[in-house]
Amino acid sequence: MNHFDNPLAPLSRKLPEKTRQLKAWVRALYNLDDRVVISVAELACRDVGCPDVETVIGIMRPAERVRTIRIHKSVEDIGFDDVRLSVMRGN
Amino acid sequence: MRRTPVFLLTGFLGAGKSTLLNRLLRDPAFAKTAIIINEFGEIALDHDLVRVADAPLSRTTTGCLCCTAGSDVRSTLHELHQAALGGGIDVERIVVETTGLADPAPLVNQLIPGGTPARSLGDHIVARHYALAGVVTLVDIVTGELSIENHFEAAKQIAFADRIVLTKTDLARDPATIKDIGDLRERLAMLNPTAPVSDAASPDFQPASLFAPRTYTPAGLGDDVLGWLTLDEAISSQGHGGRDERPADDENAFRRHGARIGSFSLTLDRPVDAASMSRFLDVLTASAGQRLLRVKGLVQVADDPGRPRLVHAVQHSVHPPTVLEEWPSDDRRTRLVFITDGLDTDAVRQLFAAALVDGTHSVQESFASLCRVFAKAWRSGKAALQRTPAR
Repeated sequence: MNHFDNPLAPLSRKLPEKTRQLKAWVRALYNLDDRVVISVAELACRDVGCPDVETVIGIMRPAERVRTIRIHKSVEDIGFDDVRLSVMRGN
Repeated sequence: MRRTPVFLLTGFLGAGKSTLLNRLLRDPAFAKTAIIINEFGEIALDHDLVRVADAPLSRTTTGCLCCTAGSDVRSTLHELHQAALGGGIDVERIVVETTGLADPAPLVNQLIPGGTPARSLGDHIVARHYALAGVVTLVDIVTGELSIENHFEAAKQIAFADRIVLTKTDLARDPATIKDIGDLRERLAMLNPTAPVSDAASPDFQPASLFAPRTYTPAGLGDDVLGWLTLDEAISSQGHGGRDERPADDENAFRRHGARIGSFSLTLDRPVDAASMSRFLDVLTASAGQRLLRVKGLVQVADDPGRPRLVHAVQHSVHPPTVLEEWPSDDRRTRLVFITDGLDTDAVRQLFAAALVDGTHSVQESFASLCRVFAKAWRSGKAALQRTPAR
């Protein structure tokens, strides 16, 4: 029985670790220095046909408007390619 | 002009916010404290459990304040302001008890200068007369670590705090648990290096000191907090979540947390057997575990119907029921309010019926059913996620 078949299996999304990883990917892909603040939020998605939750990543460069990247997955399901594709699409 | 201090009292589900509030309201020094209790769920229960009668003014709101229409905290404060003026009531401070699922970012943004812009005359009045003075966050040592791992809101509540209180430390008796508390303190220091951490079970713990007037300054809490505040405003201005576009009574207002997080309630008009209720909670927590974020309720027991039992379970833990000397209101029904994370409500209803209502199913049969439904839902939910292409 794998993890997802076991209703008694501990639920651990490892959100702090995944968030740190996500920020590191964004910093690398955008070549951002330490002055740029990256923030991550998970919100319910209201768009028809989308998954329940989307992740919004904010890139805050000094004296610039916040740039947001939206990925229609929950944080723990996001992989490097999801971030890379979002960056390429300019989401 | 002196502005009335407003304090947010927050902490993840089951952290002990209502308990602390009750302790506070028993203190004569807090006689002039107005209370706002926000509940996540269709049936408001906490307002019955906090001795709001000891407060000169109180308001209960259902639906999460962080999700409902943009100026909900401010409109509730404005209502209190009008009521205080109309009744000639002197309010020295306001304590807002948030839901355990509250994201503090939108609430703080609504109450600080430079945050969410005022959208109504009421918002301007609130900004003129009230000031956010502090964010007090309770962290339960039993479930705190898991909550941080699994829920963004738990980590954010800690990061936004200017005072942190560890609760249920009296349950820690063995060396392993005491070490866990040490580990948790280190975790808290990483999330929030500046907020002092106190222990609710310590003999010198003074709840009143948590609500002493001060100035809440998010800038002192670090880049994470400032980033969340900025991102929240950016999301609001882009209309995501529709907080600017949606009427306050929209049932979809619970949309910050996603459909996985749900709330439902079960009621029963006749007294129940105390042992059966205990068995129901034991089986439920054993099977649902972390997916049962919280169940809290009042129970009318058959052999002592005049004194309700307050039952409370958080994730894996069932707390011993508390006997109340009287019903807090005229409503004497047994009512349980559940907040769940991806838990199938039908399975819980079946188990409730089997244990407490009709006896047509055995508890064992319902437990097996609960596990089957649960496993199926979990598999299909994961499969749906895997099938969904990234956009």
